[in-house]
Amino acid sequence: MISYLSLASKYFSAHKKKARLTVISVAISVALITGIFSMMDAFLKFEKIQVIHDFGNYHLAVVEATDNEIAAIGSHTDVQNSGIWISFRNGSLYGRAVKLGALDKEFAANMNITVVEGKYPAAENEIMLEQWAMDNFQQHLKIGDTVKIYFAGSNEKEFIISGIYNDLGNTKALGTPGIFLSTAGAEKINVEKSRLYLIEFKRGVNIRNAEKEIKRELKISDDRIGHNDRLLAVMGQSNHEAALGFYRIGAVLFFMVLTAGVVMIYNTFNMSVMDRVRHFGLLRCIGASQEQIKKLVIQEGIYITLRAIPIGILAGILVTFLCSAILKFYNHSLFGEMQLFRVSIIGVGAGIVVGLLNVFIAAFLPAKKAANVSPVNAVSGGTEVKMSQKKKLGLLVKAFPVETAIGMNNAVMKKKMLLLMASSIAISVILFLSFQVFVDFLHTTMKTTKPYTPDITLTSEQGIKREVYQILSDLDGTKKVYGRMLGFIDAAFDAKRLTDLYVETVGGIAINKNGTFDPPEKSWLISYDNNQFNWAKADLIDGKLSEEKLNEQNGVIAVREQLRNNVSTETANLRLGDKVYFNTPNGEREMTVMGILRSIPFSSSELTMTSFITTEKLFTELIGESSYKAVDIQLDRDRQAQTMSRIKSILNSSILIRDARQKNAETNQAFFTMALFIYGFISIIALISVLNIINTMSTSVASKTRYLGVMRAIGMSDEQLDRMVLVEAATYSLLGGIAGSIIGVALQKLLVIKWLSHFHIVWRFPFAQIGLILMIILIVTVVSVIGPLKRIKSQSVSDVIRSL
Amino acid sequence: MIVEKLSKTFGSGELKVDALKNVSFSISKGEFICIVGPSGSGKSTLLNLLGGLDKAKHGKVYIDGKDVLTMQERHLSVFRRRSIGFIFQAYNLVPELNVEENIILPLLLDYKKPDNQYIDELLKILGLSERKHHLPSQLSGGQQQRVAIGRALATRPALILADEPTGNLDTKNSMDVINLLKLCVDRYKQTLIMITHNRNFASFADRVLYVADGVLTEVGGAVL
Repeated sequence: MISYLSLASKYFSAHKKKARLTVISVAISVALITGIFSMMDAFLKFEKIQVIHDFGNYHLAVVEATDNEIAAIGSHTDVQNSGIWISFRNGSLYGRAVKLGALDKEFAANMNITVVEGKYPAAENEIMLEQWAMDNFQQHLKIGDTVKIYFAGSNEKEFIISGIYNDLGNTKALGTPGIFLSTAGAEKINVEKSRLYLIEFKRGVNIRNAEKEIKRELKISDDRIGHNDRLLAVMGQSNHEAALGFYRIGAVLFFMVLTAGVVMIYNTFNMSVMDRVRHFGLLRCIGASQEQIKKLVIQEGIYITLRAIPIGILAGILVTFLCSAILKFYNHSLFGEMQLFRVSIIGVGAGIVVGLLNVFIAAFLPAKKAANVSPVNAVSGGTEVKMSQKKKLGLLVKAFPVETAIGMNNAVMKKKMLLLMASSIAISVILFLSFQVFVDFLHTTMKTTKPYTPDITLTSEQGIKREVYQILSDLDGTKKVYGRMLGFIDAAFDAKRLTDLYVETVGGIAINKNGTFDPPEKSWLISYDNNQFNWAKADLIDGKLSEEKLNEQNGVIAVREQLRNNVSTETANLRLGDKVYFNTPNGEREMTVMGILRSIPFSSSELTMTSFITTEKLFTELIGESSYKAVDIQLDRDRQAQTMSRIKSILNSSILIRDARQKNAETNQAFFTMALFIYGFISIIALISVLNIINTMSTSVASKTRYLGVMRAIGMSDEQLDRMVLVEAATYSLLGGIAGSIIGVALQKLLVIKWLSHFHIVWRFPFAQIGLILMIILIVTVVSVIGPLKRIKSQSVSDVIRSL
Repeated sequence: MIVEKLSKTFGSGELKVDALKNVSFSISKGEFICIVGPSGSGKSTLLNLLGGLDKAKHGKVYIDGKDVLTMQERHLSVFRRRSIGFIFQAYNLVPELNVEENIILPLLLDYKKPDNQYIDELLKILGLSERKHHLPSQLSGGQQQRVAIGRALATRPALILADEPTGNLDTKNSMDVINLLKLCVDRYKQTLIMITHNRNFASFADRVLYVADGVLTEVGGAVL
């Protein structure tokens, strides 16, 4: 031993268990910070790829840019790439509606347009088609064919097919093939069209400043500028209100992660110091100055941190690696090029910086405390805890068995310990609750496929005959086929059920003598078959969904939320048993509301008063029609191409095929990309919280070894000892859990209301979450106390007392 | 060493306890002083004050002309580590350090290189040469107290304060410890102030001070 400072390492090598607990606890905090920050880093990288894939790689769009502006912007130093995107309002090919547009060849890759076959249209009379569209017209098309395109408000024009480009999920799902002209050709066509000039800035450019500069120099007004908000948002360069709200939430949450890290480490060191008041008093007696004690404790901090940081960082990297690996495996085509083992500089940096910073923040205060230990503590064996003068124990003993009372008393009386333990648990709960905001965000903003999402939808204005439906159902390779009849009908009911908002929207209604009203708008009537009723059960608020019962009792199902002008609203508040009067071709017919659904997964193209669902039989009786307007098909997993061509051969040309498979897959991928990280965050926090509780509890029990020994010596039985320690631990966790829940819920509400209202996220009191949290905390507490207790009980009383 | 009108009270109001009342005495260099008295009489409080471990509101404690009670904490710890050696009833060794390390700890705290020759000599006198790499938990009570004595002597302090050093020991070990203390004090010309319950040990002392209810009286010279 050369210096008194080696006392720090000697102390830890003599107390391996204690050292291990402390190292773990610091490592947990470092892992938390590294994990969250690395994952955030990776998340933004993955999400950027995803967004570019979904929305295109441009940052800014100038509406109707002049040649002058295009020349100026194109040569701007900050601009990486730019191109013109022209889109026509309407057009058709062989009588089929098509989506007509033109895009500069140089910018095609940015918009994820790649030529699969042939060449990109260059001449004025050249076009390229989406791949799936080639055999989707009356006749099979091939490169070199001449076709006639009809532009709305103009004449037909002849074009030569020069190339084929990749399928796009959206157009495929809509059943509207995309066609690209050459930009030169598009400019020549004299019909209504919109021209966007798309701009991609160079890497590292401050886009907001660049945008301002361009606007100022070229005097472009704000309403002529469009943004790719999603892309800008993931790049951290968005000015959009929604993105700003999101950034603020991110900032708050990541600040909280940092705070949590500091608090957890601080608590660990503090506990370690409080544990050894006597030890420090002794050193003071033999001449250690306050400065030296301080140095010693900080030395301990460094000793611990140097061991903990690598472990924590490795764990953090591992979690991120796991997420990246899952994503890469799941969506190889999109993320195949992402490096699997990428060390996030931000994450690791944050881990190291915070880890080290913590030593100075978290170790400095306890060090000061240790330095202030009076030397008398060592000689007098002074009490380490100042008991308050009030005798709370007396009251407790009357209400509870003595060991329970002592347990509670121990927890409540040692105010500092209580604060340390409870705050450590509370901060985990707060973190958990506030990160839940991201889950709300995920489920409100991202859609994913549901059991009822069809692979293909067939639609026809003339209707699809029952016979066709039957053939499709019997077809090999279709899993489920379900049709919908759709119709508009006048429906009336008790006027009181209409919401004030709706009455106001339609400008008042006329109420009849019997309390009903003259419907201002038609209602939407939809038919469901058994399958669809089953799927709808997830959205059922009240009543039953049974095809038989509905047929027997003339039932209809009411739908609570209506989509009006793309906004979800409630127009009527129908209840079970309400009578609805439908105006059918055969006169008025009374029906009964037998179920209420929250919402339905499709919307009408016309404004309707409300929507009703009924059986196919009743629908035919009410509307007088028996052919489907839409038929949804889910395909078997295998040999889909074969099945598709067979379906096509069955259908006549009046039936439009909307192939949603690619879009569904893309939707799922986008959801998965975000969900993986968001649930990743939540699981890291949950895992770390659990580890933190286990560690804090073990430390707390281990530090009371002597006290517990004394209790046993004076005759406390093992069962009483268990109960006492459990009660004390439970008091810590419950108080921490409750305090954390209160603050966490308040914060959650604040974040949602203040910054997420833009996404129409509604905050609800998280009863289930809180219940779950408190339950988990209690279970973890019990589990974490059992181990150390067992160890203490296995030691002989005299050993325990003498050892300290 | 001069102590003037030293008073110390604990608590306040109804709970107020006068531990020491107007205590005054003086001790010359090289003296062996025993403090005796019933438990709770204020002996330990007095010793703590003499060593600068505790603070008192009234009175003065001069050691080598310096007032220990008004000294700044910064200087006090240096003073303590250089000029005073403590020996406690409960040994108070650092359990993680071995015998030799425990003994040199005060030197290390003073950023001094231990004088190996002197330490070896100490270990030999204390009869611990064979056990210098043992941990305190591997030693008997008497051996542990001898380590504590070694630690107190390591910096060659002028003043040794011992609070019932034999309180936890049997008669034979107690005699060994007392003899050892006496030997060292004579050899290194140190002042020793020792609290003891054992009247027999008081016979070794040059003077005996009696404390009862915070009041100090001098028994006067050696008890015969």
